[in-house]
Amino acid sequence: MSLLLQKIATKHVKTLIIKYEPCVLVISNRKLNIVPSFYDGEQDPAPKFFTPNVQNLLKRLTRPDFTKVFRKRNNQGLHALKTPKYKFLTKEELELEIAKANEKADVLLQIPPVLKIHKPIDEVLSRDPALIGYDTSKYLFTDITFGIANEERIIIERDTDGTLRSCDHDIRKKLNQVYFPITGRKIREPHMFSDEEKFHNLLDRGEYEFVLDRACIQYEPDEPIFQKITSITYQHVDNNKCYNTLRSTRHFGSMTFYLTWHQSIDNLMLEIIQSGFIREAVLLAALRHDVHNDVREGTAAQSLAQEIFTTPLLLSKLERLTEEDIQLDSKCIQCIEKYIVSNSTIKSQHELALQGFKEDFQHLSELRKGLEKAHGNV
Amino acid sequence: MCSKILTLSNVLSRPMQLFFKPNATSNLKPNINVTSVACVSFFNKLPAEKLWKSVTSVSNAGAKKGRGKGAGRIRIRDLNRGQVIGTGKVNMLWPGLSAPVIRGRELLKQQKLPDDPERMEKLIKIRDSMTKFRRLKLSSIERGWSGSRMPGRSIGPPDPIGEDEFIGFDTKVLQLRSLLIMKGNLGRTRNYQAMVVTGNGQGLAGFGLGKAKEAPAALRKAKNRAGQKLMHFEIYNGHTIFHDFFTAFGKTKIFVQKKNEGYGLKCHRAIREICQAIGIKDIRAKLEGSNNLQHIVKAFFIGLLQQRTHKQLAEEKKLHLVEYRAENEYYPKVVASPTEVRTKDQIPRDETLHFVQYVMNDKVILRKKKFPPFYEKMPHYKIYLKKYEKYRNHEKIRQMLKVEYGDVKSFLNERFPEEKVEQSET
Repeated sequence: MSLLLQKIATKHVKTLIIKYEPCVLVISNRKLNIVPSFYDGEQDPAPKFFTPNVQNLLKRLTRPDFTKVFRKRNNQGLHALKTPKYKFLTKEELELEIAKANEKADVLLQIPPVLKIHKPIDEVLSRDPALIGYDTSKYLFTDITFGIANEERIIIERDTDGTLRSCDHDIRKKLNQVYFPITGRKIREPHMFSDEEKFHNLLDRGEYEFVLDRACIQYEPDEPIFQKITSITYQHVDNNKCYNTLRSTRHFGSMTFYLTWHQSIDNLMLEIIQSGFIREAVLLAALRHDVHNDVREGTAAQSLAQEIFTTPLLLSKLERLTEEDIQLDSKCIQCIEKYIVSNSTIKSQHELALQGFKEDFQHLSELRKGLEKAHGNV
Repeated sequence: MCSKILTLSNVLSRPMQLFFKPNATSNLKPNINVTSVACVSFFNKLPAEKLWKSVTSVSNAGAKKGRGKGAGRIRIRDLNRGQVIGTGKVNMLWPGLSAPVIRGRELLKQQKLPDDPERMEKLIKIRDSMTKFRRLKLSSIERGWSGSRMPGRSIGPPDPIGEDEFIGFDTKVLQLRSLLIMKGNLGRTRNYQAMVVTGNGQGLAGFGLGKAKEAPAALRKAKNRAGQKLMHFEIYNGHTIFHDFFTAFGKTKIFVQKKNEGYGLKCHRAIREICQAIGIKDIRAKLEGSNNLQHIVKAFFIGLLQQRTHKQLAEEKKLHLVEYRAENEYYPKVVASPTEVRTKDQIPRDETLHFVQYVMNDKVILRKKKFPPFYEKMPHYKIYLKKYEKYRNHEKIRQMLKVEYGDVKSFLNERFPEEKVEQSET
């Protein structure tokens, strides 16, 4: 029996065996060994995150595929599908409709804000010793005037010792939810966030989008628990290289910013180069330079990024290259080569991936030359 | 047999007694006069077959008119069934016939046993079981639209032609009926007519009509004919038709609507069978006018054939055809584009641009206003509404409690545990 257990345990890497005679003790290490990291340092990420340049880079890196952005979801409130509607449209009308859809996509892909963790509110408004012992419980006062933002609403408490103070964030959130409920937000914390076993189970199943969507509804972006949950999820995605599950969703931007902020974009960079999106690799290098200003030739990457913004978004590798593509891609390759030399921590892997891309690129550009020749254009 | 002997002895004994009695009284001369008595009656003159025939037969003219059928029909019964030699109305023990001669070391004697009161009942029961008409019992998978009748039942793929087999095909009977036709020398004769639809569920289907003297022959003919007249239909996204359409044949009118995935086939049963044969999974069809089955089938097939694909529609209109789906947040998906697109100025003012109106050929379906149900005006309905208003969120709350506590309970259960115990006891 013990032998069998030992065998099973050695097969699973995540289990730890402590062996001493005469019995074998197997401890399942189901808990993830991911340490959550917060935006709680000296620097505030918000000013960097909200600059239009960074926003554009993040949006472009999201690589939005509209079939995924507008995909069928389970939480749409449709108990049964509906019969599709059809319209005959002229070219102009169609363009208008597509423009409208793009606006809708922008809303769906709005990146959740990245903020520094809030400071606790500790503001005493007055002390009234005459009220000591007046009552055994606290009094909470909420200004429920219509049209005030939740953050600016006056919510104060009178303690039993007669102190009148502003409420802290958790009480504010609860009272705001009581008087002005946000749909989907629960007053009590959902089990999937409070129960670690359940949370890890969700991550193991790869339900990242569900976790992040629900965290966005349940918490404010400057809450520590929000940042804890999201950082664990982002790291889980990074460790398992499941970037494609978050692509075309609003969370890819936040994840990229998180990884860049915490100097761990190597895996993402490797995945991007391996899948042949060299331009996105340049964008990522430019983003890193924007955030940390530590990339050698960073300004070159930034100017190249501006050039890339003018080209249409690519959802898959190109089958045929044009002259402009070849020029742009060769510039990108040079840029990335420099980046790997100066900033990469996994140089050999990056170089190998880039070599693979180069071979593919060479093949395609030769094909292009051959075709030009065949058509008699050279 | 035994009973017959018994009755014979009864018949014989009475005249014998008549003869013997005066002799017994005189007791003088042994003057015996023996007269043969023949017990002849209508019932023992003819064999059972002929007797039964006289009761059950119907004249030729009568049979043609349909007499001797239906509820009052008399059926032949075998009265010997359930009867055993040696047992009868009087329960006698006959050694050597209904019992062994020697049992153990005892020689059995002929004797009367107590009567069996249930014997006659059992006999009647056996006789009744012969008369009752038993239908062919089919399993629910084999069963058609109704009982064991043919319409709706599957009769397999059409027969192979040479080496070409109909693989993946299945045939459904839509109609099987008998027709009477007049012939010069035979007069009125019966013919069977069958209509079937065959298809492979992947766009190929056809229907056929067959006539023959016998029902199976008619079905076979119809099936093979259907196999010869296959048509191909394109199916949109593998589940429905390309657009709504109106179709008619004779006085039969059908309004067919395209539906979403998972809607099912909500239509006449014949149309449902046709759709299953073709491979259409979701449509709604409303029948108007005559419900002649053959007309329905023909009208529906004509309607399907007259469908235009999205490419054709776009080409006809010279406009982009755009699809909006609720589940995709109404993202405009271009399903078909023409080679050249008209501009707004090129479209005449009175042209039909509404998609449904265009594909229905400007035919507008009358949609009757739905009136509220009669009870909504009654006083009891208001009482009901008032009474059940307080329960309106209970289901939601129950669900929330189950999520939070794993059971239907609240924070009060922890404060008052004794209440919980009492509840569980009661």
